[in-house]
Amino acid sequence: MGESGSKQSLDENLKAPCVAACPVHTDNRRLTEYVAHGRYEDALELTLSVNPFSSVCGRICSHACEQECRRNNVEKPLSLRMLKRFIVDNTRDYRLARRGKIKKTAGTKGKKVAVVGAGPSGMTAAHDLAKDGFSVTVFERAEKPGGMLSYAIPKYRLPYDIVREDVDDILALGVELKTGFDVGKDVTFDQLKKDHDAVLIAGGLFDSRTLALPGMDADGVILAMPFLREAAEGGTPVLGKKVVVIGGGNVAVDVARTAKRLGAEEVTMICLEGEDEMPAWDWEIQETVEEGIRISNSWGPTEVRTDGGRVTGIDFKECTCVFDDTGRFNPQYDESNTCSFDADNVIVSIGQQADISCVEGSKVKIAGGTRFEYDRATLATSEPGVFASGEIAVGPGAAIEAVAEGRRAAQAIAHWLDKGDVASIPGTDMPHVGELPERVAEKVIKRDRTEVEFADPVERLTNFEVIEPCFTEKEARQEAARCMSCTLGAVVDEEKCAVCLTCVRVCPFDVAKIEKKAVMPADECQACGLCAAECPAVAIKLERWGVHEMKNRIAGKLERLGGKPDKFLLGFGCLFQAETRDALQNDPAAVKSDGIVRISVPCTARLTVSDLLAPFELGAGGVTVIACEGDSCQYPIALDRIERRVKEAGGFLEAIGVGADKIQLMKTNGPAETEWPKILSEAREKLG
Amino acid sequence: MAELLSGSNLERVLAAGKFAVTAELGPPMDCNGEVVREKAKILKGNADAFNITDNQTAVVRMSSIASAFIILQEGLEPVMQMTTRDRNRLAIQADILGACALGCKNCLCIAGDHQSFGGAGRLKGHPGAKNVYDIDTIQLISALKGMRDDGVQQGGDPIDKRPPLFIGCAWTPMGDPIEIRPTRLKKKVDAGADFIQTQGVYDVEAFKEQMKIVVDMGLHERTAILAGIIVPRNFGMLKYMNNFVSGVSVPKELMDRMKAAMKAGGDDKKQKRINQEEEAGKITVELIQQCREIPGIKGVHLQAIEWEKKIPEIVEKAGLLPRPTFD
Amino acid sequence: MIIADQKPVAEIKGFIEGKKKVLIAGCGTCVTVCLAGGETEVKNVASALRIAFKNDGKDVEILEDTVERQCDDEFVEPLLARVKNEGFDAVVTLACGVGCNFLSTRIGPVQVFPGVNTSFLGSNEAQGDYLELCAGCGECILHLTGGICPMARCSKQIMNGPCGGTSDGKCEISQDIDCGWYLIVKRMQELDILGQYDEIQAARDWSKGTHGGPRRLTKETAAMAAEDDAAKES
Repeated sequence: MGESGSKQSLDENLKAPCVAACPVHTDNRRLTEYVAHGRYEDALELTLSVNPFSSVCGRICSHACEQECRRNNVEKPLSLRMLKRFIVDNTRDYRLARRGKIKKTAGTKGKKVAVVGAGPSGMTAAHDLAKDGFSVTVFERAEKPGGMLSYAIPKYRLPYDIVREDVDDILALGVELKTGFDVGKDVTFDQLKKDHDAVLIAGGLFDSRTLALPGMDADGVILAMPFLREAAEGGTPVLGKKVVVIGGGNVAVDVARTAKRLGAEEVTMICLEGEDEMPAWDWEIQETVEEGIRISNSWGPTEVRTDGGRVTGIDFKECTCVFDDTGRFNPQYDESNTCSFDADNVIVSIGQQADISCVEGSKVKIAGGTRFEYDRATLATSEPGVFASGEIAVGPGAAIEAVAEGRRAAQAIAHWLDKGDVASIPGTDMPHVGELPERVAEKVIKRDRTEVEFADPVERLTNFEVIEPCFTEKEARQEAARCMSCTLGAVVDEEKCAVCLTCVRVCPFDVAKIEKKAVMPADECQACGLCAAECPAVAIKLERWGVHEMKNRIAGKLERLGGKPDKFLLGFGCLFQAETRDALQNDPAAVKSDGIVRISVPCTARLTVSDLLAPFELGAGGVTVIACEGDSCQYPIALDRIERRVKEAGGFLEAIGVGADKIQLMKTNGPAETEWPKILSEAREKLG
Repeated sequence: MAELLSGSNLERVLAAGKFAVTAELGPPMDCNGEVVREKAKILKGNADAFNITDNQTAVVRMSSIASAFIILQEGLEPVMQMTTRDRNRLAIQADILGACALGCKNCLCIAGDHQSFGGAGRLKGHPGAKNVYDIDTIQLISALKGMRDDGVQQGGDPIDKRPPLFIGCAWTPMGDPIEIRPTRLKKKVDAGADFIQTQGVYDVEAFKEQMKIVVDMGLHERTAILAGIIVPRNFGMLKYMNNFVSGVSVPKELMDRMKAAMKAGGDDKKQKRINQEEEAGKITVELIQQCREIPGIKGVHLQAIEWEKKIPEIVEKAGLLPRPTFD
Repeated sequence: MIIADQKPVAEIKGFIEGKKKVLIAGCGTCVTVCLAGGETEVKNVASALRIAFKNDGKDVEILEDTVERQCDDEFVEPLLARVKNEGFDAVVTLACGVGCNFLSTRIGPVQVFPGVNTSFLGSNEAQGDYLELCAGCGECILHLTGGICPMARCSKQIMNGPCGGTSDGKCEISQDIDCGWYLIVKRMQELDILGQYDEIQAARDWSKGTHGGPRRLTKETAAMAAEDDAAKES
């Protein structure tokens, strides 16, 4: 898409790339904002509002958002997935309490929907349909819900209780879940259809594809899905010392790493693709290598060597090319170049396919193989009232894609049930701004991406414990501060703009310009707010900051604190200095005793002169602005601007006899937890 | 001898081809005419005409015209000074007519220092005053010339008895931008300046260069250029002039000489002063002699600011006495 | 544009001592651009006044309003109506002197006080830096001076400069002030028109400036016929 230009950000179509890239369009900019403000519960509500599998995605999302994050143009993308994990991991109590209050909306509408398969797609559809008031029953062949999440993804990446968090929220809506129920066997598809007003087929790809090679029937040759499933159920498939995994995808990676944890001494992944072509995610490959698993690229298997019906090894020939010019899978080999691996086990992980036995004998038309007729736009099958979504419909994909398809399926079914016909459901494409122009990117202050340290590779191979720790609160806040709030910047009220050029002159990113009136192109603006604070015409609004609105905010805060202490001291601090959200809070008792009221703002340079005077109107005896020192500041020149504004406010105070010394600017690198109390109590003392 | 414009003594000296000498007399900051008379007595016979400053450095002093009248009574010839800072064209013309009625024959047209300078040193001055600058110096020269030669006021009304004036103006030869200075002098001459008194000259070499251009332009034939000599009373004054007076630069050699004289006095303040004043006399005499040799220079204009009593000694040592007299 | 500078708020407060309800009126044009009297400055001045009166224990209502321009009837009418309807007993205008005059002659028995000092006609050299470039003298002579005005930029307004006070391109009165005539000479040299400098500029006709009495300009070809005005009113 990459449409950019000078349009202003109020245009709903101008989305940030991270939002557009997310299949459910999670507004990551709001998430980071909520984290910065310490509003973790609001962040949870936000992510749950678009993604019922937020806990799951916090752990294993393939995070297209990060690939598209415009911090890529500066240094490295935001760690958005980990921020999501931080949010869900740190709001458990809230979420439990919330679950108790979830309204059982399912069934209020009187129409019934059957969902076949309790994976992310089916459960998401069930969630949305139940919220819509439909009665929903999910039929799951396995004993536990979650599909691939519960049975294919290893526990060291995604423990079952995490899946369960999300599933339990969905069930709280009144969705009925029947596990151990095999549609096609326990009930015929036709009967199921008769019993319901609509059916969604949302199965996953649970059957492993296999290879037609000599020796495949030998003992010790295993297919990926049964292997992972056994491991997931707590089983310990018996393996020999040497294991060869055939395949280069994410499942193959899971298989190899699981094998290693199950005691295999030497695990080798061998795949057709070259190093750069492997379908597995880069970070997964990296973790795999860390765990001592060898990867051998560009080999196609020719024969499983056996001895007495038992695997002894496997032979390969060189794969010279995997895809043809049209991009189709069409491997070419060099028969002369071969190699051979000894192996006690060969695990085949070359892809999955659907099991469509559930529709056998029904009128749902099969398109060939393991696929049935399906319209990607309407999600309808050949049979009226029967819809499909998830991997069974669209092929393998990431969990978040299944969630997105589940949401589309819910829309399709709701439309069918409400209107009686099928409708084309919008896809997940969304217009968005392009990359951050280099001219702007080079002015953005560089901030290292916050990384967590994984469990020691040797240590972690001894068990199935989660290997990735969550962000600490400090880390999460530090990472959230890196968000550039793409397209949520300054907006000019053309009626008021006096074209004075102040914004153009103060913009530290060289973004503001004049096109008849001032314009801050949404695809460039960094939302620092300096222009708005300086605009003499109050013509610049910010998407998420009330310019000149501090007086009301303080008044509201004083009221919530139960009145104002006499001659209180107001401390403005930059919330990016707080390592915990506790530092952002005012304790009413403390306020009463020390007379210090704190207001945290995202960069003190957003404060206008009238904002700085406002506390005095409300009875403050003094104001202290705690600004970030040197390069700890978020934005270039911000410190200089707030220094000048404090000076200007001081000039007014001096002129009216209050005294310029009643407002002061203090600089610190934080953290707020230790520095603010020192600065503020000193200021309080001076005030007397 | 061609017909004289004003018949002033200064004009006669120049017309007679003699090397002219003018000297400056600063009026007091009060109404004590005796101060002017005392200075006149000291200066009498030591120069051909005496400039009476007009609120010099924007400090209020007894008026130039009134002071001029006093020295006329003492038998000296005044050069009244007229700044365009303090009067509009009406006041200027009225004052000129009055001065001429009282017997003044020379008038120096100048812009005057900006009123912001009046507050220097211990003085408060009048930095908040409104300046006039209705007309500038060149326009004033034109106006006076029109009154004298054409018998009309600046506005065009006729004048029956024309004021016989010898019209002069100042010139800063080394002012910035230096390349415009000869041209600006030409404009003054074109406007009608009969004589020129330059800004104080210390850097004789640079002055020579500018004079060469002026001579090449033939201006020295059309006006009488008197080199301005400011008596450098002490090292501090030389330093001040070098640093703060526009268009004045003092060569290092002169500074060093004065500094040496000062230092030779050791810790004795009085001796230091005497040494410097002696050196000042020597330097001034040398400057006069050097300027006299510059082609196109017709005389000198001596300024001993608030030190008028030094003038007779200098004039004598420079060999400029006695001054010519006419019947 | 017109450059103004805010008056000290203590002085403004002195103007309105004893008043009960005061409107601080901003102007959205020149004074907004020069950061002296736009909506933001109105907020600041109003806030400072509220604090000051509150600290004095006085109950004075200070309200705010900013219009596009205070020198056009169409823009000030709503402001005047508000003053009347809401019972203000004083107005402090942060517009230039034009706005203060304009309001004063239309507002009836409510005093309008100036909240800024109207300084000069000038340029915006950089953020917060303004330079006087035009004296509004009524008869432009810029064609004679390479486009640089001796009326605005020479301390002595001389027409045949530079005087002897120029030093290093600066005016004798301050090293912070460029000598206008130095700039003129350099500009004329650049344009190769220094020859024009030789001509003596005659004394000016100041009557076209403020010395000719208050000025009014009527552009006949643009003015509306009196009948039309009457028709419009009915």
